[in-house]
Amino acid sequence: MTTALPATATPATDRPPRGARGLTWTVLRLHRSALIFWCLAVAAATGVLIWMYAIGDEARRGVGGCAEPVAVDGLPSCRAMEAVTADDTYRTFIALIAGALSYAIFAVAAWAGGALIGRELESGTAKLAWTQSVTPARWLAAKLAVPAVLLTAGTGAVTLLGLWARGDDDPNLVGDWYYPDVFLSTGPTAVAYPLAGLALGALAGLLLRRALPAAGVGFGAALVLYNVLERYRWEFWPTVTRAEAGGFELPRSAWQLGWADSLTRATFHPHSHFWPLQYVETCLVLTVAAVATLAAFWLLRRRTT
Amino acid sequence: MTTALPATAAPATGRPPRGPRGLTWTVLRLHRSALIVWAVVVLGGAAVLLWAYGPGADAAQAEWDRVCAGREACVWGDPIHDYDRLFRAAGLGLNWLPVLVAAWAGAALVGRDMENGTARLAWTQGITPVRWLAAKLAVPALPVAVGMTVLVLLHRLVSDAHPLSLGKWSWYTEDNFQANGTVAIAAPLLALAVGALAGLLLRRALPALVAALVATGALEELATVASRNLVPWETATGTGYQSPDHVIVQGPQGALTSTGARVPNPMCGDDGGTCLAAHDIVGYYTHYHPASHFWPLHLVETGLLLGAAALATAAAFCLLHRRTGAAV
Repeated sequence: MTTALPATATPATDRPPRGARGLTWTVLRLHRSALIFWCLAVAAATGVLIWMYAIGDEARRGVGGCAEPVAVDGLPSCRAMEAVTADDTYRTFIALIAGALSYAIFAVAAWAGGALIGRELESGTAKLAWTQSVTPARWLAAKLAVPAVLLTAGTGAVTLLGLWARGDDDPNLVGDWYYPDVFLSTGPTAVAYPLAGLALGALAGLLLRRALPAAGVGFGAALVLYNVLERYRWEFWPTVTRAEAGGFELPRSAWQLGWADSLTRATFHPHSHFWPLQYVETCLVLTVAAVATLAAFWLLRRRTT
Repeated sequence: MTTALPATAAPATGRPPRGPRGLTWTVLRLHRSALIVWAVVVLGGAAVLLWAYGPGADAAQAEWDRVCAGREACVWGDPIHDYDRLFRAAGLGLNWLPVLVAAWAGAALVGRDMENGTARLAWTQGITPVRWLAAKLAVPALPVAVGMTVLVLLHRLVSDAHPLSLGKWSWYTEDNFQANGTVAIAAPLLALAVGALAGLLLRRALPALVAALVATGALEELATVASRNLVPWETATGTGYQSPDHVIVQGPQGALTSTGARVPNPMCGDDGGTCLAAHDIVGYYTHYHPASHFWPLHLVETGLLLGAAALATAAAFCLLHRRTGAAV
């Protein structure tokens, strides 16, 4: 090992040539258990989703209309449909991945508050780092950027794989688009939420400077953000109102919000509002993330100058 | 302050007269923020449930009378949605509190004290390790048990008095099952014991937090599955799968032969008749737990959880004794 040293050693007058890479490496090395956990989680989700894609066609044979007692008009017999079990497996695992994606924000916020920032400030290793030619701002930038890149790559990949594994989006198998878990796991919100969790957790860590309270407060902040957005999600895009004398029915794909005048007037979001709703919510969540990040840097600067 | 000292000071030869109270006080004082958070959680949960029982239920009933009474189909508005949301949030909270207790016990109660050495400091201050751990477990156990009991009783109160009879609100449904009985009180006690054991084993706060969280979740799930199979299933039989009313959980299903034997469903598919005859299938059965199994299921699961808690506590004391054997 000693023979390798001269190659990486730099003149004392110059900046270390591989500074950023060194700092990135430090962050990765320090949080290696979280890194390993994240890699395993993404790998497991990838495996499950490929498997779901493989049994997708079989699962779709297990739902829909059926005929009794024998198959007619292209409808399978109900007995044959009952014999298909792939639909239960498919439904369960697709829902599991959707749930994991939409709740990832809580784990990320608690981890960022506790392990990423809070523990470092509590034990004083952050201060030690700041004396080793790493400025506090660069330290925080690395602490946020490295996990942000890994989170974005992981959640982005799992979301895209999920869309692929969902096939034709049969709501009997994968749930309706407006269910909270489905909504949060099928668009850019799936990437934005964990990033907001990261920023909120980091801010909690800098504010409280202790691992466990910061983990708790980061978790709580994520819980508030999640529930507020779920409550007001439907207001992020103008709704459609339809009125017909004598009453009418809406298709299942409509997110029904309210009926009035004895079922002759309905307020709802048609399926086509999925993307506008996704974009507005993503922007809101990313704004929260940006504000929390700015607040964290501002707080750090006030503390360290 | 100095004048007050002689009153509390004990003779050096005897035990401190208010020893346990002093240690209890230390634990309460050290974990005062947790105590405050717990009080807020319990009072907040109680407030939500009392709101649902009183004004919430009244508003939901009024909304029902206004838009739905006497109609075949109707879509109701906010009062019923708000009632539903808060009632289900309270149930969800009651089901997840044990996991939070586990995280806290693993990390803050024991793990952190082991990590930064304050436990060792305490053991040099006339407190034996065994008494230290006993206080660490007993002092939080009381407020946890009392708080959960209050919340469970209030949850039952709301569950018994729903303004409308929506199926998903019924007291025996799987959603409400845990929050309406003793399991909800036993689970956080298990969480406390598992958290303490994880803290002693790992001696670091954050790893103990994760371990306690995962272990408690897994043990709860295990106890649920085991209790369902320990309480004898009811069986419904017929020419197809049956779906009996008022069911808490549905269990395994299968086929019946002419001798009455229970066999796996042969999955005959389209050519029903000949295939069924070849397998000698005359009907199908479904195992289930009816609403009347509510208390047997609860008591068995509570027993399992408390047994696991006792084992975890014993293991924690054993571990502590082995580690500090010389010091005791």
